[in-house]
Amino acid sequence: MMIPTGEATIGPFFPTRYVDAGANDLTVFEGRPAKGEAIEVRGRVLQEDGATLENLIVEIWQADAAGVFRHPADPRHAQADPDFLGWGRAATDNQGNYRFRTIRPGAPQGRQPHINFMFMFSGLMRILKTTMFFDAGPDPVLDVVPFSRKELLIGKKSGTNLYTFDIRLRGENETPFFDD
Amino acid sequence: MKTLIQPRDERTQPTRIIAGYPQTPLRNPKEPLVKRAPTLSELTGPLEVAKRVKLLGGDIAGHGERQAIGQLIHLRVRVLDEDGAPVGGTVVEMWQANGAGRYVHPNDDDHAPPDPNFYGAARLITDESGLFELRTVKPGAYPVPTRDGWWRPPHVHFSLFGKVWLQRLVTQMYFPGEPLNAQDRILNAVPDAAARESLVARYVPPSGKPYNALVFEHQIVLRGRAATPEQK
Repeated sequence: MMIPTGEATIGPFFPTRYVDAGANDLTVFEGRPAKGEAIEVRGRVLQEDGATLENLIVEIWQADAAGVFRHPADPRHAQADPDFLGWGRAATDNQGNYRFRTIRPGAPQGRQPHINFMFMFSGLMRILKTTMFFDAGPDPVLDVVPFSRKELLIGKKSGTNLYTFDIRLRGENETPFFDD
Repeated sequence: MKTLIQPRDERTQPTRIIAGYPQTPLRNPKEPLVKRAPTLSELTGPLEVAKRVKLLGGDIAGHGERQAIGQLIHLRVRVLDEDGAPVGGTVVEMWQANGAGRYVHPNDDDHAPPDPNFYGAARLITDESGLFELRTVKPGAYPVPTRDGWWRPPHVHFSLFGKVWLQRLVTQMYFPGEPLNAQDRILNAVPDAAARESLVARYVPPSGKPYNALVFEHQIVLRGRAATPEQK
C-alpha cells in the first residue's frame, strides 16, 4: 500500500481563470438543459472573526433530478441524465458570497436529497467537506451529526427555488464538517 | 468500478492549525470533524470535468520571442492510487510562481517582477499510465507577508479530481536540495518524515532528453483502491 499524498492549502494565488465562466451553473451541460427543477443555492462563507473571505473555492457534487449519480459506481448509472454533470465550481465574491444554479437533486438510494460541498482556501490545509440537505429526514450522513448541529446542514428556503446555505468555517454556529 | 476509501494516517497529512501561519487558527474548524461511513454519494464523483472547464495544456514556458525567464524544467508526474495502480484520464490543475517568485494574481503585489511571458497555470489530463508532463520554469522562492522570516521554498501547486469525490486532492510539490524546505511551515506541517519526503520531487540527472531542460520526476498518490471482485 502506498501512502496517500499529503494535502496542502491552495494558498492565496489560485488562478482566477480556473473558475471558468459558467462552472457554477449545473442546469446546462454542453449547451443542453438538464432535466428537473432549477434551483439556486447561495450562501456566505465566514471565518471565526466574521471577516468575509474572497476567492474561496466552493465545489459541489450531486445526483441528478432522479437521484442518479453520473458515475459507473451507481447501479442506475445508465439512467443518469445525459445533460447533467452534477459538478460545479464557484468562487466567493468580495462579500464572501457564492452561488450555484443547479437542479434539485432526487433522493439517491438510502439517502435524502442532498448536495456535497467542499471548500478550498488559503489557510485551509485540508479540503473541508460538508453536505447540504433540504429536509431533516432520516439519512445515514445527517444522522451521525450531533443533534444540536443538524439544523446547520439544512439549506434555508429563502424564495421560490432559492436556498441559502451559509458556512461558518469556525466559531459560533460552526458548520459541521466531515472527517473524510 | 467501485473505489474503496480507508481513513488516512493523520501523521501523513498536515496539521490544520500551524504556528506562525496566522490565518489557520481563524479558518479551521474548532469542533471535532464528524466521522461518517462513505456512501455512494461520496464514492462517486465527476469524471467529465474536462467537459466543463477549459484545458490549457502543460507547456507553459513559452516559445520563440515569448519565452518565460528562468531555469527551464520538465516535470514528469505520475498519479497513482494506494495500490500503485495508475489513475488515468483525470484532470490536473497546476499553478506556480514565476522564476522570480511572483504569481500572476491580483493578490500578489509583492517584491518580485512579473514576467509577461509566464502565466503560470496549466490544466491537463493524465494519460492511461497516470502520467502528465509539464514544461515550465523553476518557480522562485518568495517571502510570506508575515514578514517574520518565513519564505516559501520553490514549489508547484496541484489540484486533482481523481475518480470519486473523496479522492479530490490539493497538494504542493517541492524541489530536492532546497535549503528553504527545512523551515517551510507548510511542508513541515506534515508530521511524518517519509510523508514529507514524498512531497519532494526527484531530480533526474541529464540524459539529453530533453536536452535543454532539467528533469524532475514526481509521484502523487490519491486515496483509495479499486475494489477487487470479491470486495464488491
